[in-house]
Amino acid sequence: MKFLSLILKSARRSKRRTALTALSVAVAVFLFSSLRAVLDGFNAGAAGSSSTRIITIRSTSLIFAMPSSHTNVIRGVDGVQDLSWANWFGGIYKDPQNFFAQFAVDAESYLRMYPEVLLSPDEKQAFLDDRTGAIVGDGLARTYGFKVGDRIVLQVGIPIYGSQDFTFTVRGIYKAGGTAVDNQSMLFHWKYADERAIEKGQIGWFVLQINDPERAAAIAADIDQKFTNTPYETKTNTEQQFMASFASMFGNLNLLLGSIAFAVVVTTLFVAANTMAMSVRERTTEIAVMRTLGFPSQVIFFFIAGEGLLISVLGGLIGAGLAMLIVNGERLGVTGGFVPAFGVSTTNALIGVGISAGIGVVAGLVPATLAARLKIVDALRRVA
Amino acid sequence: MLIELRDVTKTYKRDTIEVPVLDGVTMMVEEGQFLALMGPSGSGKSTLLNLLAGIDQPTRGSIKIAGSEIAGLSERQLAGWRARNVGFIFQLYNLIPVLTAFENVELPLLLTDLTKKQRREHVMTALEIVGLTDRSGHYPRQLSGGQEQRVAIARAIVTDPTLLLADEPTGDLDAKSGQDILTLLQRLNAEFKKTIIMVTHDPHAAERATRVLHLEKGTFVAA
Ligand SMILES: Nc1ncnc2c1ncn2[C@@H]1O[C@H](COP(=O)(O)OP(=O)(O)OP(=O)(O)O)[C@@H](O)[C@H]1O
Ligand SMILES: [Mg+2]
Repeated sequence: MKFLSLILKSARRSKRRTALTALSVAVAVFLFSSLRAVLDGFNAGAAGSSSTRIITIRSTSLIFAMPSSHTNVIRGVDGVQDLSWANWFGGIYKDPQNFFAQFAVDAESYLRMYPEVLLSPDEKQAFLDDRTGAIVGDGLARTYGFKVGDRIVLQVGIPIYGSQDFTFTVRGIYKAGGTAVDNQSMLFHWKYADERAIEKGQIGWFVLQINDPERAAAIAADIDQKFTNTPYETKTNTEQQFMASFASMFGNLNLLLGSIAFAVVVTTLFVAANTMAMSVRERTTEIAVMRTLGFPSQVIFFFIAGEGLLISVLGGLIGAGLAMLIVNGERLGVTGGFVPAFGVSTTNALIGVGISAGIGVVAGLVPATLAARLKIVDALRRVA
Repeated sequence: MLIELRDVTKTYKRDTIEVPVLDGVTMMVEEGQFLALMGPSGSGKSTLLNLLAGIDQPTRGSIKIAGSEIAGLSERQLAGWRARNVGFIFQLYNLIPVLTAFENVELPLLLTDLTKKQRREHVMTALEIVGLTDRSGHYPRQLSGGQEQRVAIARAIVTDPTLLLADEPTGDLDAKSGQDILTLLQRLNAEFKKTIIMVTHDPHAAERATRVLHLEKGTFVAA
């Protein structure tokens, strides 16, 4: 205790420098926690998916559609219990900047197969009854202020849906009951989109309910087998793989965000280490005096290391706190609805604080060692 | 005999050349003495004092203080020995700028098992001896040089050490403040029976001591 107050007084010696060091650690931890939150969103989307849902897409890519005649063929495959389908609409809400996912779905079967889309029975009925109705996730509703009864006009983003704007009426606001569904998307009737499509009956992907998750691979192979050597070959995958392929449309996000976070942390480490080294150099005489008074080198070591740790963890707490405050307050809009947008979890915040502690320890190590190894007489002579 | 220095040699290596600083010094100091060490610049006074303080090690020879041999102790053992036995007074006071006078004096006590209350009593006693109880809350920059040196003396005596060592304690002070410091040291010697070794250039300062030794080129010479 008595030593802690000594460390605190020491840290206050140069308030600006201490504040700036803490701040740089705070920024690093803030970035780290926020980026982790985005990554968690992606990864949880894949991990949290149902193992009895499998997804069929065109073998070439998600962008290219398949004819609705596939429906009957897939239904006939052994092990397939239920089936629904969806298209990526890609409409523009007022401004291309306002990016969120819109899915044209076969509403009744889709809601049946995704019980995670939580909707009150009244809202569900209202949606099913309205050909131009839509439902939006509560996160999306919060971002744009959508309310039940509102009209949403979307410009066509992909030319196969013609050129005329689409007008929807919000019939319900759903909550996401699982990570396979996110609350940043808008769902509406596939039929409405198909009516205006230049080529009718195009389907982006099929979602299938299978009876036995153990047989997922076999069933997927059976389905793809049915379409080999047709103009519309398919690729069937588990929902997890599908989520992953969605995410990979952005390149290797994990690696990218991971490297950014890493670079920030390493940079901060250097900044903190340099600052600590500077502050120790300035204190050479003081350290020599304390040693003369009988403070053992080990105690000096812990003073300096402790000071680094203290400043760094202070920054870490600020950064993690701000990340939770800002990111969780707003809910990340950045994932645009591909994956559930999570806030900064407590775990991430704690890891962030842990990293700040790591920065503090590593940054303090060299200066603390130098201080502990200092030869008293040389240090005293230097100023005298 | 409180201090027995036998045949102590100290050489520094400058590149490859060995520079002898102390050359077979032998010195005996009885308890209760106030010894002034004089000599020209570079004669090895500070080096000798540092050896006595246990912050430097001799190249050869034996240093026995209060019955224990300190030449050859490990760094860790020396630190503990210093905390118990030595009070050091520097020319430039060397107070810790972020600590108040009180906290500076308390610093060496943090290494003891004393309670906060006991530490407080010790600190106030030491500050009273140097006549600065009213400045206990001041930071070093709020004190005059003479006052700073008195706080430094309080810090040196607060643990009631065996030995007080002072390296030109008045070297950076005006005449009046210097006199005050010397009077204080004299009092510590006479009233509190402290053994003091003081390095000084000033013959008037040396007059205050009970004994004077002259060092020249690393050996004692007659005055
Ligand atoms: N670490 C060191 N490395 C090399 N030489 C040193 C070292 N320390 C002291 N010396 C040399 O030892 C000699 C004696 O130094 P010391 O400081 O003991 O002298 P001094 O008598 O205290 O002088 P002054 O009155 O100027 O303080 C000097 O020539 C000095 O250059
Ligand atoms: Mg000297």
